[in-house]
This record gives sequence, structure tokens and C-alpha cells, in this order.
Amino acid sequence: MRNILYILFLLVATVHSQEKMTTAEAIILKEKIKTQAAETKTITSDFVQYKHLDFLTNDIVTKGYLAFKMPDLVKWSYVDPFVYSVIFKDENLYINDEGQKSDVNLSSSKLFKQLNKMIVNSVKGDMFDDNEFEISYFINKKYSEVHFSPINKKIAKYIKAFHILFNSNGDVVEIKMIEPSDDYTRIVFSNRVLNKTVSDAVFAH
Amino acid sequence: MRYLLISICLCLVGCASYTKKHGFKEIESIDKVVYNPYFSDATKDYVYKAKIEVYNKTFGGIFIVKKISEANHRVVFTTEMGSKIFDFSFNHDDFKVNYILEEMDKKILLNILKKDFRVLVREHGNILNKSVKENRTLLETEIVNKKYFYAFKNDQLNSISRVKMGKEKVQFIFSDISAITAKNIQILHHNIKLTIKLKSIN
Repeated sequence: MRNILYILFLLVATVHSQEKMTTAEAIILKEKIKTQAAETKTITSDFVQYKHLDFLTNDIVTKGYLAFKMPDLVKWSYVDPFVYSVIFKDENLYINDEGQKSDVNLSSSKLFKQLNKMIVNSVKGDMFDDNEFEISYFINKKYSEVHFSPINKKIAKYIKAFHILFNSNGDVVEIKMIEPSDDYTRIVFSNRVLNKTVSDAVFAH
Repeated sequence: MRYLLISICLCLVGCASYTKKHGFKEIESIDKVVYNPYFSDATKDYVYKAKIEVYNKTFGGIFIVKKISEANHRVVFTTEMGSKIFDFSFNHDDFKVNYILEEMDKKILLNILKKDFRVLVREHGNILNKSVKENRTLLETEIVNKKYFYAFKNDQLNSISRVKMGKEKVQFIFSDISAITAKNIQILHHNIKLTIKLKSIN
């Protein structure tokens, strides 16, 4: 009996660790994130990516760094356990796979353009478009967590939801992209620096 | 009926000539089962960086294999950023597509991938013939009506070849082998311009 009570207590505690925000709290958070995003001209950050597939014993861990520059230049560079980078620029993806370069033009696919726009926007956390997402707000320990679920069914086939964790400044500390199967990619940022000069050469290809 | 007989004759000539062409001598096999150990550990997550070259186009990703239970494997391919491209289940001879990116959902492509990965993850096959040459052994088996030769050197599996009319159509080459893991795997197609290169990253 004591064990059951203990389990129940743990369950309640777990549920409570992610508490829904009040409407007033959500409005304040949204404004803070939007202001922070508008003031963000550049971002550089390290990241660790955890690919979770339900059937695997361990998540697949890859590490690298990110560079963002206004208005929409993003470069993801992986350095461990392989060297790979992808630059999101205009309507193209420029890939450097261990020295082998290639590019993908997205202009013919409205869907991929939208998906990539979302990935770029998620870096700043500013995805507050009620026409595109169903948005819900939570308190997760010392962080704020916002869930963005795409409304467009075609997009929802690829991504069920973005869960973004924000610190008290309204800056992104973690992005989780959840697939319809509930497998997900979780990206945890560290050493995030805002508004330091980032040369255009970073996005050369 | 006549065509069937001709086909059987051609196959017999073709299959026999493959081993002879490479200077192997047929002997009687005591073992009944050929064994591929490279995806046999259910406690291990097999994770590879993949490069796929198809008609002069190259694209990369992460190739993942997990043995779920006996003769039951999950095979998944994602982009480096984690988006799933395909997710297959191989359970004995059954094949199931759990997910495939709509743009990749083409019957011809699916058939090629199904055939390739079925061979890659299959652990056991019945030995039909055994041939030897010095420290090398060729074991012939059949997987879903296709002939395959498993090539061993000093008892280590180095390659698997799908052979038709005495010619290699597809080759699976295993290298940089430690214990029961092949750190490098290449799947080479000789009848279409498709090469899959896998490099272990865990």
C-alpha cells in the first residue's frame, strides 16, 4: 500500500513538474520572447543533439555548433562523431559532408520551404503564429516551455510538434522536434552568445 | 516448359561457373548454416554515417539497425539533423514499411532497398554448396529465391555477393572488422548506378 502511495506521489510530482501557465503568464512570456527575438541579430552556440528512436537502447548523440545571422541565415555544423554542415540560405540548403559539397534547392517544394522556415525560426524561438500553430504554454522547473503544433495537416505529417524551452531572458535553451511516431530530435544549446559580430564568411559555401 | 528448362540449365551453368571462375573447388559441407554476425547483437545499437551515391548524386544521412528479437530487425535512415527518411521492419521473410518520406515512396526504389537490407541483416542461411581456395571459403545460399555467395577469409565474413548467370549483381563488402562488428560496409550495385557506403560512428 505504501508503495502504491509512493508511486502515486511520484506520478503527481511528475505531472506537476510541467505545469500549464495562466493566460496572463503566457502573454508576458510571449512578449518577452518576441522582444528578445527582435533584438537578436546574431547567435552563436554549441549544441548537443539527441536523436531518440523508441526501439534504440541509447539516443544517438551528435555535437556541433550553430551560427545565426539576421534575417534568416543559419548554419548547423556537426563536429562529432562526424564533420558535416548545412547552411540554410535563401531557398537553398548548402551541404558540406566531410568535404563533399552539394546543395538542395527548395523553391519547387512549398512544403519543404515551410518546414525549413520553421527550423530557422525555432532557433530564435519566435514561432508565435496562431494561424500556423496550436500553441500551449508550460512552466518546466526553472524554464518556460512552449509547444507549437502545426495546424497544416501536410506539415503535421512530418512534425507533430516543436517543444521549445526558454530561460528567464526568453532565450532558447532547448528545441525538441517530435515526429508523428513520437520519436524525436532534442537539441540542447550551451555557450549561447547573442549579438556578437558574425562574419558573412561563416555562411559562404 | 522449354523456357523453364533453359533457365534451369543456364542457372546451373552460371552458378557453377562463378566459383570455378574464381578458382574455388567444391567440397562437401559439414556445416548446414551460414552465419552473418554483423547485426546479431540485440544489446547493441548499430549506428552508421551513410553516403548514398545514386546516378552521380550523393546524399548522406544516419543509418541505424537494431536487432529487436531473433530474425527481427529494425532498419532506419535519417538525415544528419534527425528527420526520418525511412523506417523498415524485417521479421523473418516479412517486410514492413513503418515510414517512408513521400518523395521516396517509389516501388522500384523500395524493392531495391528491401532486397539489400534483408541480406544485410539476415543472420542465418542454409548452405547449398561449399567451395574452398587456400584460406578462403565460398558458401552458397538462397535468400527469397536469389542466389548469394558468402565469402570468408580465415573464417571471417568479408563479402556477400548476389550472383546471376555467374556474374555479381550486388556486392556487400565488410571491412575494418573488430569482433562481430563491421565498421565499414559497402553495398555496390553492378547493374544500376547505386552505391551505399556505411561507416560506424558508435
